[in-house]
Amino acid sequence: MTICVTGIGIISSIGVGRQATLDSLLTGRCNIAPIAHFKTIHSDLVSAEVVQSNEQLIELLGGGLKEPLTRTALLGMVALDQAYKEARVEEQRPQRVAFVSGTTVGGMDKSEQFYLDFLNNDSKNQYIASHDCGRCSEMIADYCGHFDIITTISTACSSAANAVIFGANLLKTGRTDMAIVGGSECITKFHLNGFNTLRILDKEPCRPFDASRAGLNLGEGAAYLVLESEASALKRGVEPLCKLSGYANFCDAHHQTASSEDGEGAFLAMSGALQNSGLQPEDIDYINAHGTGTVNNDLSEGIAISRLFSKRGIPPVSSTKSFTGHTTSASGSIEAVISILSIQHGFIPANLRFRNKIEELSFVPSSDIGLKVDVNNVLTNSFGFGGNDTTLIFSKYKKE
Amino acid sequence: MEQLILELKKQIIEVLNLEDVKPEDIDSQAPLFGEGLGLDSIDALELIVLMEKNYGIKLGDPAQGKEIFKSVETMAEYIEANRKK
Amino acid sequence: MGVYIKSSAQISIQNPLCNDWAVSPIIYREPYARAVECDYKKYINPIAARRMGKILKRAIAVSSSALSICGAAVPDAIITGTGLGCIENTEKFLSAMTMEGEEFLQPAYFINSTHNTISSQIAIFLKCHGYNNTFVQRGISFESALLDALMLFETGTVNTALVEGHDEMTQGYFKLLDKLDYWRKEADGKGAVAGETAVGFFLSKEEDTVKIEGTEILHTPSMDDMSRSLLKMCSDAGISLKDIDAVMVGANTDEANDAVYEAFSETLFHGVPCLWWKHIFGESFTSAAFGMYVADYILRNRVVPSAMVWKNSVKSAEQIRKILIYNHFNNKEHSLILLSRW
Repeated sequence: MTICVTGIGIISSIGVGRQATLDSLLTGRCNIAPIAHFKTIHSDLVSAEVVQSNEQLIELLGGGLKEPLTRTALLGMVALDQAYKEARVEEQRPQRVAFVSGTTVGGMDKSEQFYLDFLNNDSKNQYIASHDCGRCSEMIADYCGHFDIITTISTACSSAANAVIFGANLLKTGRTDMAIVGGSECITKFHLNGFNTLRILDKEPCRPFDASRAGLNLGEGAAYLVLESEASALKRGVEPLCKLSGYANFCDAHHQTASSEDGEGAFLAMSGALQNSGLQPEDIDYINAHGTGTVNNDLSEGIAISRLFSKRGIPPVSSTKSFTGHTTSASGSIEAVISILSIQHGFIPANLRFRNKIEELSFVPSSDIGLKVDVNNVLTNSFGFGGNDTTLIFSKYKKE
Repeated sequence: MEQLILELKKQIIEVLNLEDVKPEDIDSQAPLFGEGLGLDSIDALELIVLMEKNYGIKLGDPAQGKEIFKSVETMAEYIEANRKK
Repeated sequence: MGVYIKSSAQISIQNPLCNDWAVSPIIYREPYARAVECDYKKYINPIAARRMGKILKRAIAVSSSALSICGAAVPDAIITGTGLGCIENTEKFLSAMTMEGEEFLQPAYFINSTHNTISSQIAIFLKCHGYNNTFVQRGISFESALLDALMLFETGTVNTALVEGHDEMTQGYFKLLDKLDYWRKEADGKGAVAGETAVGFFLSKEEDTVKIEGTEILHTPSMDDMSRSLLKMCSDAGISLKDIDAVMVGANTDEANDAVYEAFSETLFHGVPCLWWKHIFGESFTSAAFGMYVADYILRNRVVPSAMVWKNSVKSAEQIRKILIYNHFNNKEHSLILLSRW
């Protein structure tokens, strides 16, 4: 079965919607600054927040939304709405539609704000019910329309990528006619502090694949992809944007937070996705790396890329987290959308702020802003805590 | 020093949740990481928090920990020389 | 191709890693109970387990047990469902942050607060590089994990899989959910008893006594949607609705919750024996894993423990060959699992 992407939606610190995102990518614009939406003692840790406040997001959504609302849900609604409209789901509705979303913080933004109320009084009880991740997906889905299947995946920073795989498998096994897949995550004080205890947050804008890299910047956002079979897209009269040609999930099984020295999990995920797609390493025109900017990830991932690709020449590699920050559970779909934009508009998204090569690696990332190249196949990596390594491959759609 | 070492051992057992380990089981000179107790990078981060919370010592660079956390004894020596509380 | 249950293991508010519940279940009158723990040192050395909360130790124990029962070493996939994840560590980090501030927070609580710590710790413990995933969809988290596994079998991605359901219930979180009227308000009253879930299944393509015919998850379905889905599942299994010998429902004595099962069984399974499990294992986001655990036990051992009958008595346990498990959460998310004795 050929699985096509027929709609995308995205919101991140570099813009709302595909056009704003594309403009930022082509001009090297990013928004990495101290936290503005909540109070924290870590004002020295820069992050990539979505510019809009919750109130402004509600406005974007046309207003009239009732509490309890969480920021992750609001970001998700904005992205899902765009994808839903682009794929004309409402006008040309297939019989069965599934929604698969990835998140890890869920409603933590409200829980951390109201935790003392939860314990001491009954004034914020409605946010107890909006805490868990599954509720977040229900809110996003119920805002947009009716879905026959809803589920939520939480594998930390690979959540959204795993949602893509699950949705694709729903299609392949005939359990749905359309799957809208991706993830959403807002920055919370909880995981800002969590990552800070691990000492992997950079105080400067992050520098993925640079010798001087010193950690990641947290980001936030949401992105969704509408997946359906080529036959369904043709039947509904919707033009495919690209194909999802391969995917794989493997486990590094090495350590709770660190990647293995030889990047085994990453290597298995990338090789598995290539095998699944029927493509060869030399067919890949661009690697959208996980590239968090931590010392450990970029070295381990870089070694895995070298192991797999160096025989026939390593294609351009970049980490677009240098634009969006690390959007954690949403990063898999945000970077999938960026990969799709690179196919559609024929360019390599830049790896910003690269200066010095990592000594142990045989390649440097692609740092030219707006580099125009014909892009047929993009491989994108998403790795989560616990060595949850997922790779997706998107390819240019050509009518058979 | 002897007292600080014992105090440290108790704190390490508590903060790293070393069930069934008693202070006397920990050799003051034995390596904490790798062999010996078999601690890892997350434990090192926990020890950094311990030093900051209990002794007011801030480690800017976690890599510094490597030397300091060689053994309970080296840790105690560093604390003795640098403690702020 | 079929998918079979090779083995299973559980830790719950009943005696752990055994089937004492079938003969002499522990009866809980109060709304809150914690799992009966086993000796975890038998499964993992205390130093390796130093950062693990109860939910993780239980996961290691049920995984090891399920694997050793069928003599398997490493599965091709590890997939977990968990409604709340590692809530104990989440609470520890959250309460330290809100009460003591953002200094001196401990990394281990954060690392072990993420939901997928369970699946990944099992993988690290088993050195399993295979597919690894975690589902967190409230009351259908386990069924989502099961569905994921079945799709991996169908697409030829795996030959075996470890599929698990895990939820812990701390005193603190019990109280929060109590504010939302999740539980019975008094001993012996109407309403759910909170339980804790740790169930692992080793699934394989290799034939065994109990076959998983299919599973479905549905979002806000009408009775027509339910019936259509059920008929499709039956036709895929090559059977008709009347071939289903018993229905296991997620009733828990809460009136609004149970009314959904009443309507379902009256409409589609009039007169068919209905069984239940939540009064024995308690309610949790992944309690459906016990539904499958009990159904598997019944089919495998050809016995229906009398405590498990919800309505319409069972004439002969011998004749129960196909069991449908039906569970819902808040009447929003619904799930079906069909098992048969092979």
